Amino acid sequence: MTEPLLTVEDLRVSFLAQDGRVNRAVDGVSFTVERHKTLGIVGESGCGKSVTSLAIMGLLPKGAADVSGSVRFDRRDLLEEPERALQDLRGDRLAMIFQEPMTSLNPSYTVGDQITEVILRHRGVSRKDAQARAVDMLRRVRIPTPQARFHDYPHKLSGGMRQRVMIAMALALDPQLLMADEPTTALDVTIQAQILGLMRQLKEESGTAIVLITHDLGVVAEVCDEVAVMYAGQLVERAPVEQLFAFPQHPYTVGLLGSLPRLDARRVRLAAIEGAVPNMSEQVVGCRFQGRCPFRVERCAEMPPLAEVDRGHLSRCWRAPLQRLVA
Amino acid sequence: MTVPALEVRDLVKHYVAKRSVFGRTLTTVKAVDGVSFAILPGETLALVGESGCGKSTVGRLVMRLLEPTSGQVFLGGTDVTSMSESQIRPYRRNVQIIFQDPFSSLNPRMTVGQILAEPLMLHAIVPPNRRRERVAELLERVGLRPEQAARYPHEFSGGQRQRIVIARALAVEPKVIVCDEPVSALDVSIRAQILNLLKDLQGRLGLSYIFISHDLSVVKHIAHRVAVMYLGRIVETGSADAVFSDPRHPYSRALLSAIPVASPIAQRDRRLLEGDVPSPLHPPPGCHLHTRCPYAQPICSVERPLLEGGDHPAACHFWPTLPPGGDLLPNEGVVDPRLERLFAAFEPVAP
Repeated sequence: MTEPLLTVEDLRVSFLAQDGRVNRAVDGVSFTVERHKTLGIVGESGCGKSVTSLAIMGLLPKGAADVSGSVRFDRRDLLEEPERALQDLRGDRLAMIFQEPMTSLNPSYTVGDQITEVILRHRGVSRKDAQARAVDMLRRVRIPTPQARFHDYPHKLSGGMRQRVMIAMALALDPQLLMADEPTTALDVTIQAQILGLMRQLKEESGTAIVLITHDLGVVAEVCDEVAVMYAGQLVERAPVEQLFAFPQHPYTVGLLGSLPRLDARRVRLAAIEGAVPNMSEQVVGCRFQGRCPFRVERCAEMPPLAEVDRGHLSRCWRAPLQRLVA
Repeated sequence: MTVPALEVRDLVKHYVAKRSVFGRTLTTVKAVDGVSFAILPGETLALVGESGCGKSTVGRLVMRLLEPTSGQVFLGGTDVTSMSESQIRPYRRNVQIIFQDPFSSLNPRMTVGQILAEPLMLHAIVPPNRRRERVAELLERVGLRPEQAARYPHEFSGGQRQRIVIARALAVEPKVIVCDEPVSALDVSIRAQILNLLKDLQGRLGLSYIFISHDLSVVKHIAHRVAVMYLGRIVETGSADAVFSDPRHPYSRALLSAIPVASPIAQRDRRLLEGDVPSPLHPPPGCHLHTRCPYAQPICSVERPLLEGGDHPAACHFWPTLPPGGDLLPNEGVVDPRLERLFAAFEPVAP
């Protein structure tokens, strides 16, 4: 069996607040990413998904966070690697795109120059060759008249265009793994559809594994092969995408799916998860979702493990498989 | 004939973008370019479109938070367009607005109780000795507790703050509430709470809503009628059922095609648009969509199409001849009935 491309084991990230309390933003997260596959990490604000991706890439501000666990990529533990080694990896084998393309692109350089810079940093090719590759990348992300756009500054481009440039920059060196943190959230819906279509095509063409972080279950359904659901710093469910949507096995996922107004079905009242996410600076005993869960029982005062409920389908819930609750 | 709660006719809002050295206007942004609609009591009209289409500007124009360049606004049948500030004051009770960002909508230096009491004072809704009681009623009506009146906004979550904003809007007993992306900034699981609340309030109080949103799945859930906007113009309007099941305008079709659906096996036909939204400073002549429209013909770059088509009109020279648009929404997903029962465990009991 081929070794997974990325293996995250018991990742923990805590932040120290001014009042001395510890915020356990990521509290024991483990997952693997297979080559050529797309994993969606889905969760709402505060669940720890963005911190997870930043920790994996080594992009958390130094000294601000306490990070433990292991992140194995290509037989190395990224958490143990020095910054120089990480810089060699980033842009080359590991790439990342963020939600706000305007803050990720340097406003003082043309978009062509920024892509060229990435290529030159990691490959010993001539500037001319790097520039040609940059134009080629702009073409690959379906930017019209790429030769002309090469010389544009970021402010001249629309949000959708800038995100395409980000994708071009990220894929310029054919990375093995791409982390995309809410790449389409800031875009208009028709542009989002274009970008998601582009990502699907590039996925086919290049075989890059993708970790897509989002709060939008619709995006997950469109693009991902597998889904991991995060809640209050932990993974609560993981499954192949069809299985998760056909029958989720964690009450939080059930609540999320039920709360979506659907285009393809008429629902009179939306399922609403009452209450709010617990404050991660406070100690919660047992399952973190129990305060909002309609299926809670006494046993939930003890933290459930992430266990296999069905083939390839994991859930952190004592009451899974949930079919038993409504049989 | 019921008098509409709110009506606008040929509403226009232009902004000057560039002046010559001598002060002459060179470029204008036609943020709203001739919009008309009417809303009946108890009805929700959704204004949908992407950024720059003018929907938020329309929301502010009907409140007269912005002054229209031309056109008319009628509240309960009365023309309020040219009224002075003192004349219009009594009418301001009738239309309230809820904004997208719950974090900047509330004065951080006032308690929730003070925030809710303020409109009660300004419009003398109840005598001073009954204000506390009314504030408590308002809080309960939006699902909060009366004790929370003593707290400050920063002590509440985004969803709770949006409830406070709704309570404030209700304080003056309005007939119409403009909801400008009221749930877009909220987490997915909180959106459902707020949408359910808005629907319940409409049922109980007979409120009309102008619901401004770019999120069509939210719109489908709450709207009775829909107006689709593009670069300052309404391109299609009709009942929500009609527009969603049979979108007539190419832009409406593109919008519906573009929405990701939370169902990996959903089958659908997609009609996406090429390219980006043109700059509102230089909208294409004739039909604004012609630069991106797969059905564009020469006439489209010359002549502006008018809204035509009975009670489901579309502004397109060719809409009756386009292929049927019914397959753009995914086919009815079959949800496991056991899963439906799990959903039901979360569904709040209607108050």
